[in-house]
Amino acid sequence: MRFRLQIQRSDPDSGKTRLQLYELEARREATLLDCLEQIKDEQDGTLAFRRSCREGICGSCAVRVDGRTALACRTPASEIVAGGRIPVITPIGNLPVVRDLVVEMEPMWQKMRAVEPFLRPTAGASGDGREAVITPALLEAVRKEALCINCGACVSECDAMTVSPEFLGPHALAKAWRLVGDPRDDANRARLKGLSGEHGIWECTRCYLCNERCPKGVDPRDAIAKLGAEAFAAGIVRDRGARHAKWFVTSARTTGWLRESELVVKTLGIAVSLTKIPLALRLFRRGKAPLPLPRHRAADLAPARELHRIVTGQDRRGALGIVQGERVLERIELVRAPEQPASEEEL
Amino acid sequence: MRRIAYYKGCLAELSARELDSSTRVLAPKLGLDLIELKSVTCCGAGDIQTAEPDYALHLNARILSEAERAGLDTILTVCNVCTLNLRQAAWQLRDDQLRARVNENLERAGAAPYSGGVEVTHLLWLIARGEGLARLKEIALKKLDGLRVAPFYGCQLLRPSKLMGFEDPDRPSSLEAVIEACGGETVDYPAKTLCCGFPILLAREETALGELIQPVEQAMEAGADVMVTPCPLCHLSLDAWQKSLERARGEKLGLPIFHLSQMIALAAGLEPARLELSRHVVPMGPLLARLTSPLGDGR
Repeated sequence: MRFRLQIQRSDPDSGKTRLQLYELEARREATLLDCLEQIKDEQDGTLAFRRSCREGICGSCAVRVDGRTALACRTPASEIVAGGRIPVITPIGNLPVVRDLVVEMEPMWQKMRAVEPFLRPTAGASGDGREAVITPALLEAVRKEALCINCGACVSECDAMTVSPEFLGPHALAKAWRLVGDPRDDANRARLKGLSGEHGIWECTRCYLCNERCPKGVDPRDAIAKLGAEAFAAGIVRDRGARHAKWFVTSARTTGWLRESELVVKTLGIAVSLTKIPLALRLFRRGKAPLPLPRHRAADLAPARELHRIVTGQDRRGALGIVQGERVLERIELVRAPEQPASEEEL
Repeated sequence: MRRIAYYKGCLAELSARELDSSTRVLAPKLGLDLIELKSVTCCGAGDIQTAEPDYALHLNARILSEAERAGLDTILTVCNVCTLNLRQAAWQLRDDQLRARVNENLERAGAAPYSGGVEVTHLLWLIARGEGLARLKEIALKKLDGLRVAPFYGCQLLRPSKLMGFEDPDRPSSLEAVIEACGGETVDYPAKTLCCGFPILLAREETALGELIQPVEQAMEAGADVMVTPCPLCHLSLDAWQKSLERARGEKLGLPIFHLSQMIALAAGLEPARLELSRHVVPMGPLLARLTSPLGDGR
């Protein structure tokens, strides 16, 4: 089968990039990685890309295919050229390009190191000087996060990282949950406090691009939510994002609907809220800043209050409230609508 | 008329009241009899899902069970975030064990249990395909002829696609189908599937505004007269925070933003006054004048 690919080439000295068209004859079952290797072997030894295991384990070969990040070794080439399309292969995003499809991973490793991705057990956790014993059931809460292969697909498209490069991001935060959720680790409180900083848990905008792209089903956004839930359970709720979330909980159990007009003060505190007066006036003029009184109450409120009392007394507090539903969600078969070829303009 | 449970969510009751009123005005035209769910609360907005996820699940279970109690098998939403949260809960509650536990709590709290099987959909999904689209084409008498409309999807109606699943999350086409059925001209731009920043607009304003500028700027560069969104949270950032973008960048933007229901209602010839367009922060007046001018061709 004949394949045509446009691959982004870059000149490491000038930093300039261009698209280069390659044509090759390969097996119908070839993966994108097979094609890249064949091009390098037969046509152009200067083409640079990373690869190692060729079977979705090492996490080396993530690239963007028409903007969508994927592992080259898990991408059937026939799918991306379907309908005569010439796919555009570019390096993953949010990391500096070294050359062609190779990016500098160091910024990602720095963030990974920042979350201290190793267990910190208290001295003699097992009591007998041996390694701590763990059962599969106890590891259930971190099973998904343990599947991460560090490919950077989540980092590549994280919308918050694009805007705020200091954001710890989906990869490091999922790693952090891998530790916080592990019963052998005893540094939870310190970890959660650290992760609740300016560029931590609460800077995620919940765009779900990380969940969408992860080739291993780690669902980093869900891991970030687990960290949030554990921070709440531990009473670490000083960050603006946590206060914002807390106000939704308070609203639900007191008036049912969000008490929207008080949200700004509850999130930002009184002093910072004063700087928002022009915004408030703008909204008020249009009827968009409802007065706090009379309160907007849902009908039949008692069950919402009572439910809060009941569930907070049960054993699914914190991240377990998310973990309990994960197995069910994993059973969803991926039902995707057929992809539509991108228009010429997009290319 | 199709009887359908209507869950309007927090914003359509308060700051985005115009979304609720325009949806109600439009519904009969679309053949929908909206049965509003009353004994319900906030869906959690993703915030309770992060802070107290087990509570969030129970709140959503109660909303689903209220639809069931009203004898309805489908909940209609007009918000991306409500759609995601309700669908996520509905999926999780397919598990017999989990549902049994949640139901026990619901009953203890004096709410009806949920037996499973309620479908959750969004207004956009109802009208973007099949019968819904056919009906839309019948009622949209091309009132938007020539208007250049930029679709903005927002995140949570597309992703996570395993929970949403209506269309390709990277190359969606439902809003485009609706814009065209309404006689508008679709303006394409890359950020239409990216984030408006709303969830962190208060907590991390700078990051949120950095996200918000992408669709606004790109749509304007592509020549959009107006943008349309199926989500009141996206609407609030795009419309109400546009001034903050203007101040941060020192330039005038002024891109008007439609709620999906408003755009369709206008195309269907409904009285603009009933759509509460005057509640928007970016003025809709000039656009409306152009659309309704007897002399103009819509432009």
